[in-house]
Amino acid sequence: MLWKIIIFLGMSAVIVAAFLTASPMRAANSLGPADVYRIFYFHVPQAWVASLAFVLSMIYSIRFLRTRNMKYDTKALTANKLGVMFAIVAMVTGSIFAKMTWGEFWNWSEVREVSVFILLLIYGGYFALRSAIADPDTRANLSAVISIIFAVAALFLIFVLPRIYSAFSQHPSDSIIDKSGQITMGLTVRMIFFSSLIMFTALFFWIYNLSIRVARLTAKKMLESK
Amino acid sequence: MPTRSISWVSKTLAVTRKDIVSEFRTRYAINAIVMFALVTLTVISFSVGLLSPSKEILSALFWVILFFASMSGLAQAFIKEEETGTAMILRLSCEGSIVFFGKMLFNFLLLLTLSILVVPLFIVFLKVVPTDWTLFIGAVLMGLIGLSGATTIIAAIVSKASVQGALFTVLSFPVLLPLLVAVIEITTVSFTGGTFADASAPLQLLVAYDVIMITLSSMLFDFVWRI
Repeated sequence: MLWKIIIFLGMSAVIVAAFLTASPMRAANSLGPADVYRIFYFHVPQAWVASLAFVLSMIYSIRFLRTRNMKYDTKALTANKLGVMFAIVAMVTGSIFAKMTWGEFWNWSEVREVSVFILLLIYGGYFALRSAIADPDTRANLSAVISIIFAVAALFLIFVLPRIYSAFSQHPSDSIIDKSGQITMGLTVRMIFFSSLIMFTALFFWIYNLSIRVARLTAKKMLESK
Repeated sequence: MPTRSISWVSKTLAVTRKDIVSEFRTRYAINAIVMFALVTLTVISFSVGLLSPSKEILSALFWVILFFASMSGLAQAFIKEEETGTAMILRLSCEGSIVFFGKMLFNFLLLLTLSILVVPLFIVFLKVVPTDWTLFIGAVLMGLIGLSGATTIIAAIVSKASVQGALFTVLSFPVLLPLLVAVIEITTVSFTGGTFADASAPLQLLVAYDVIMITLSSMLFDFVWRI
């Protein structure tokens, strides 16, 4: 209950601050109207949470294979469910930004858009496999294996491919974060951005804990009814 | 331990030989793959052959044919074992890694047969000749190694599930996508008159992909095989 209030207040503060302060991009540098760049406060944390969920589910899959404890299977599944949600949201906000600056919602030569789409295909495959296996132990085992294979394929897609085909990408990374990885933002922008990042991460873990508790209670109830 | 490594190789080859013999009896996988490839090739020749498509499009179409044809038959290697109930005997008689590499070799040979049939037909029907044959053959071989390496473990996973055919394609596509991107790039270079140097970046990607995927699959195979 306490966390609910904290996250609600924090999120509201981030949203208000994101729209009341100056845009993170100066009008002179921007491709479209400078106001469009406010989406950066939301899009980047969403994409970050989606990748966090992906990494979490891979870690829990490995732990499941080492221990065969069903607890880790539930955790991996929950992380994947939330990952889908945040990946869809990140994809939608990214498309809106693409439409406002580059003139089209979707562009197949844009590596980042394609990789988030592949990420969704991967999640689709994971859930399709889970629904096709009836036995819980086999299901947990095989979905852990496939999610490790998927994670390695995703590493190729996210880190290796964009480097080889970098000429295609229009995704703004240099404009916000320069090549050496140093963030070139003003103090206000930085404060809002990092509070948004923290709030989205907190939101993720809040929903995550709730889902784990629900899953645990459901399993307990099923045992009792047997 | 030379004796042990020799017996490992001969056992692996025995698994492959067993699969080849049983494939010659039923000819299920090879029929499915070859017919699928022929039908796709005919459809593509009819629809775009008259439009004189660019070489980039042709190299993509070439791999679309190979990809979907292999999807129709590669899963059989394990599905057949589960359906006829011979999986348990195989599990008792040798280690997981022997089964993995034996099946992988069988799938590779299956794809090799397929491409020996498809490549000449593709060249004749769509009137495209690779200018650099070594690059083209290298790309096809490396692509087939990656295809069989990455899909063997997925076939083993799918054989334990229901709705196997559809699931196999759904699970394979995201895993194979980096491979397809790289191999289409190299094939385009070999069609448009480039050399090895022009294709060095996708070649590196392809080799890294093959090595990593085969290593990872052979490491994870025991978790799938011994349930």
